[in-house]
Amino acid sequence: MNLTNAPHGRPLRIVDLAGGENVRRRLMALGFHTGDVVELDGRAILRGPLLVRNCTSDTTVALGRGVAQKVHVEPVHEPS
Amino acid sequence: MSRPEVPTVIFIGQPNGGKSTLFNSIAGPKAETSNFPGTSVKHTHSRVSIGGRLLDIIDLPGTYSLCSTDPAEQVVLTHLFAERPDLIVNIVDASTLSRGLELTLELIELGYPMVVALNMIDVAERKGIELDAAKTEALLGVPVVPTVAAHGRGVRELLDRVFDVVDKGQALKPLRFSGDVEDMVAEVERSIPPEFPRVSNTRFTAIKLIETAGHACGDFLGQVEPELGAAVDRARKTIEARRGTPAYEVVSAERHHQAMKLAEESSRFLHGRRMTWDMRVDAVLMHPFLGYVILAAVFAAFFFIIFEAGSPLEALLLGPLDKLKAALAARLGQGLLFHLAEGLIQGVGGGVAIVLPYFLPLLFLMSALEDIGYLARAGFLLDAFMHRIGLHGKSVSPFILGFGCNVPAIVATRTLESHRDRVLTSILIPFIPCSARTTIILALVAFYLGPLWAMGFYVMNLVIVALLGWIISRFLKEPSPGLILEIPSLKAPRLGSILRKTWLQIYSFVKFAWPLLIGGSLVLSLLSYFRADGWINGVLAPLVVKGLGLPHELGVTLVFGFLRKELSLIMMLQALGVDYQSLMTVISREQIVVFTVFISFFIPCLSTCAILWKEIGKKWAFVSTGLSIAVALVLSWLVRLVL
Repeated sequence: MNLTNAPHGRPLRIVDLAGGENVRRRLMALGFHTGDVVELDGRAILRGPLLVRNCTSDTTVALGRGVAQKVHVEPVHEPS
Repeated sequence: MSRPEVPTVIFIGQPNGGKSTLFNSIAGPKAETSNFPGTSVKHTHSRVSIGGRLLDIIDLPGTYSLCSTDPAEQVVLTHLFAERPDLIVNIVDASTLSRGLELTLELIELGYPMVVALNMIDVAERKGIELDAAKTEALLGVPVVPTVAAHGRGVRELLDRVFDVVDKGQALKPLRFSGDVEDMVAEVERSIPPEFPRVSNTRFTAIKLIETAGHACGDFLGQVEPELGAAVDRARKTIEARRGTPAYEVVSAERHHQAMKLAEESSRFLHGRRMTWDMRVDAVLMHPFLGYVILAAVFAAFFFIIFEAGSPLEALLLGPLDKLKAALAARLGQGLLFHLAEGLIQGVGGGVAIVLPYFLPLLFLMSALEDIGYLARAGFLLDAFMHRIGLHGKSVSPFILGFGCNVPAIVATRTLESHRDRVLTSILIPFIPCSARTTIILALVAFYLGPLWAMGFYVMNLVIVALLGWIISRFLKEPSPGLILEIPSLKAPRLGSILRKTWLQIYSFVKFAWPLLIGGSLVLSLLSYFRADGWINGVLAPLVVKGLGLPHELGVTLVFGFLRKELSLIMMLQALGVDYQSLMTVISREQIVVFTVFISFFIPCLSTCAILWKEIGKKWAFVSTGLSIAVALVLSWLVRLVL
C-alpha cells in the first residue's frame, strides 16, 4: 500500500521510501523517514496532490501523486 | 579566545520558522539585501548596535538541512562553511520541534558557537505542547531561549545569550550516532589527509563525506582525491550492507531519531490532539470544492483591488510627467536636448507611473498571501492543473508575480528545486501579460472593442501559456520530480513584515529594471532625433505591411516594444500622427487586435531578456525569444484569418 491508496485520517506507518535519491533526500529533509507515523489529511481534485501530516513533528506537506506513490505505508493498529 | 572586533552572527533555520521575522526585529530598517558573489541568491545583512556593542548580523535563506542538492541552498552552505561566522543563531519552530531539531543537531556537529531560539512557542502552546527550554538546553548543550519573534518576546534574552557566548566561547558536544555508524565516521576521519580542507572540524567533514560523497556541501570540499574517495566509498558500503539502506539515509535517520527523542523529552502534551481554529479553517481552505470557490474569489478580489488601486495611481503619476514634458517642449524646442530630456522623462515615467502603480499593490497582496500561508495552499489546490502543463504547484507564485512584471517573476523561480522546472517556468512567464502589456490591452482592446474582448484576450493568453507549457514539457525529457511542498501553519498577517517584503522586492526591481528602462528610452529618443524611424520602418515593412497587414508607420513601434512594451502604445499614436480618441479613423478594429496580439507576444522586453539570460542562461534566453516571435507570428496570422 502506498499513500495514494491508503485510508484517510488513520495513522499510517512509513515502511519504505522508494524513488530516486533526490526525492528521498528531499522527503527526509522535510522530516519524513521510514518508521514515521503519518496521516492523510486531504486530497485535491483531479488526481491532485495529497496532504500528508507527520504525526511526530506535526508538519504538513503536500505531496504530488508521483511522490506519494513512492511512500509505502502500512496501517498502525491503535493501542486500545 | 580572542574577541573579534565586530562579531558576525548568522541566522539560520528551516523555512517558515519565523527566522526572518526575528532577524528583522533585531536588524531594524537599515538592513540591506545583497547577492552572494557571482550568484543571484540573496542574503540580508545589517550592522546593529545593541547596548553599545556592535554586531554584524546576516539572514540566510531558509534551509531544511546541511546537505542540500538544491543549487540555491548550496550557495548558502558554501558561504556558511567558508566564512566561519563567530556565532550561529539557529531558529527552531517550536510547534514542529522534532523536525527543526534535526537541523540543530547538524549545526552542533558543524561546531560553530551557537544559540538556539525556540521560536513560536505561542503556536506550540496553542497546539497543546508545553516546552521546557531549560531541559532542551541541558540535552543539547547549547543555550536555548524561548521566543515569539512576531511580538518581540524573548529577543532581549536571546541577544544577552549571544553576547555571553561571543565573550566566553563555547564547547559543543555533538551527540553520538549508533556505534556502527560512529565507527565508520572515525575511519573516514583517519583517512582524511592533513592538507584536505576541513569544513569546521574533521568529524563534520567526515560525516558530510559519508552523507553526500562531498557533493552536496556546495563546492567547498572541491575534488576528493582517489584514496580518500575509496575510503569514503568503503565506509558507505559497510553502512549500507549492515543497515540495508543507503548511508545518507542511515545518517539522516540517526539524527531523526535523536531529534524525536530530544523533542519528546523536552515537551509535554497538555491535551490530546484536538481541532484548533486553524485546522478548521484549513479544512475549508483546502476543501475539494469550497477550496476552489475561495481560491477563485481570492484571485478575483486580488486583480480587482490591483486595478482599482492601480489606475488612479497611474493617472496621478502620469499627469505631472506629461505636464513636465509639455513644459520642456516649450522651453527647449525640438533640439537634441529636448529629445534626451523626453527620453529620460519617458523612461522614468514608464518605471514610476506605469509599472509601479500596478506592481506595488500586486506585491503587497502577494506578500500578504504569502505571510498568512495562503500561497502554499494555492499551490496545493492548483497543482493538478499545473501538472497538465508539465509543472507543479510551486510554480504558481512566480506565475502570479508575472502579471505584475515578468522580471521579478523569473527571479522568483529560484524557489523551484529542479532545474527543469525552473527553465520551463521561466520560459512560460514572458507569455503572461505583465502590467505594461495589460495597459496596452486595456487601452486598445477594452477601450475600442469593449471589455469583453479584453477579457477574451486575457483568457486566450492563459490558454496559450497552458498550451505552450504542454508542448515544451513534451520536449524536456527529464520528468518533473513532482510536488513536495510544505504547508506552513496559518498565521495572522503582520503589516510590518508584509511591508518589508514588498519594499525589498520593489527595491530589487527598481535597481535592476529602471536603468534598462531609462537607457532604452534614451536610445529611442536618439533614434527619432536622428530620423532613424523612417529607415527602421523600411526594413520592417515586409513584416508589418505584408505579414501583419498594418500601416507601415507602425514598424518602429516594434522596436519600442522590445525596449519597453507600454511605450509601443504611445509610439503607435505618435507614428500614426493621431490622438488617442481618433485612432479608429486611421486603423481598423481588426488591425487593433492584430497589433495588440503581436506587440504582446512578439518578444520579451529587454529587461525580461536580460533577466532570463542571467537566471537560466544564454541558450534558454534565445529559445524564449525565438518562441515568442514564432507564437506572435502564428497568432497574428490566426487572428487575421478569423476576423
